[in-house]
Amino acid sequence: MDDSNGRKFQKELNGGLVGLVLLAVLAETNEDLYGYEIAKRLASANDGTSIFKEGTIYPVLRALSAGELLTSRIVPSYAGPPRRYYRITEQGRGVLAEWKVIWRGTRDFVDRFIETKALAGGHSS
Amino acid sequence: MNNSAPRSIDQYLRQLREELAGADAALIQDALYDAEEYLRAEVAAHPDKSEADVLELIASTYGAPDEVAAAYRDTEVKVKAAMATPRKEAKSAAGRFFGIFLDPRAYTSLFFMLLALPTGIFYFVLAVTGLSLSAGLSVLIIGVPFFLMFMAVCRVVSLAEGGLIEAMTGVRMPRRPVYQGKALGFWARIGEMLKDPRTWTTIAYFILRLPIGILYFVIVVAGLAVSLSLIALPIIGVLAQAGWFGMSAVDVFSNAQPEWAFKTEFGIPILGLAGVLLLTSLMHLARGTGRLHAMFAKSMLVARTASSITEAAEPKAALAAH
Repeated sequence: MDDSNGRKFQKELNGGLVGLVLLAVLAETNEDLYGYEIAKRLASANDGTSIFKEGTIYPVLRALSAGELLTSRIVPSYAGPPRRYYRITEQGRGVLAEWKVIWRGTRDFVDRFIETKALAGGHSS
Repeated sequence: MNNSAPRSIDQYLRQLREELAGADAALIQDALYDAEEYLRAEVAAHPDKSEADVLELIASTYGAPDEVAAAYRDTEVKVKAAMATPRKEAKSAAGRFFGIFLDPRAYTSLFFMLLALPTGIFYFVLAVTGLSLSAGLSVLIIGVPFFLMFMAVCRVVSLAEGGLIEAMTGVRMPRRPVYQGKALGFWARIGEMLKDPRTWTTIAYFILRLPIGILYFVIVVAGLAVSLSLIALPIIGVLAQAGWFGMSAVDVFSNAQPEWAFKTEFGIPILGLAGVLLLTSLMHLARGTGRLHAMFAKSMLVARTASSITEAAEPKAALAAH
């Protein structure tokens, strides 16, 4: 991912994916999570490096919260400023279910082309 | 990028602030708050490393200041677009004039102006009591803790006022408090607070909110009372004609003044029409006042960043080059 083409492509892909992943992370846990904790969970799920920059999840969390897909509360912290803890709402679960279907459809559609091409081209480098 | 990689949290936040220059002041405050939460947690999670070592890796985890700034700008643009209620712009002047009744912002602004009196009294009492007690107690040992408590309450209340204004007028206000770094000592922090112009503009805002609130309240109550009673006149006339009050319309208005309005054929319908126009104008006035007040509140309550507060940079301009 050093070349700027790759980075740009990754960034464009991430546009909608960050929201989907955040909803999924919050949907599968019963506890409330704050930004840093969510970022670390994403990173640890992928050998310590997140696909997207952790700084980009905060504005998305806030946007999801403004769209009432998440609720949040503020808790004081010793390590720094008060933390904002997030929890998924019923509406958020509904949207997540919908997005999951869209994502699977999109993934399968894209795979259909990429996989056949890989098969046709044989393995390269 | 002519900025070198940040070596401390303060440097990082400063660079992020520079990258966000020109964006909405409220957005900048939120972005800095988020970054600070992450960076301090990251430093705390690596007690074995120095702050500089941790920050060396930040660009690959949290993202460099320019990347993070771009993310905030993009998301804000998308949220704005998604949350904005699609408005059908009426073409004719009359349609635009009466279309105000379809704008929820006009109603919420009207409500905000009514609410401005009770909240204004509260803010005024808070500010005056806090200031005078702080001054009075400053000779005693409890004076300093009291002043700090007063400041903390002021910050929370100003955030709440921002939330109220955002809900009522739709103008973006900060959703996070400004975080004061822990690096400073106790006395240094008090000094910073006293030097921070925002401390004083916040208190000034609280004091000014009472006269402003009285003005808003009077305008709305008087405007509503006059326009609604004017609108009621023809309705009462029609009801009286139908025999609801046991007397004719002429008798219902027999003592009403002035005579030219109530004793002529067109007087009452014209007064009713005037009521409708007045009510519509009041709605326009409310919406405009709401916007103006939000700008005023933002200038007083939100930290000035860099040189000036740039009013909501247009989304197109905000889309930083990737």
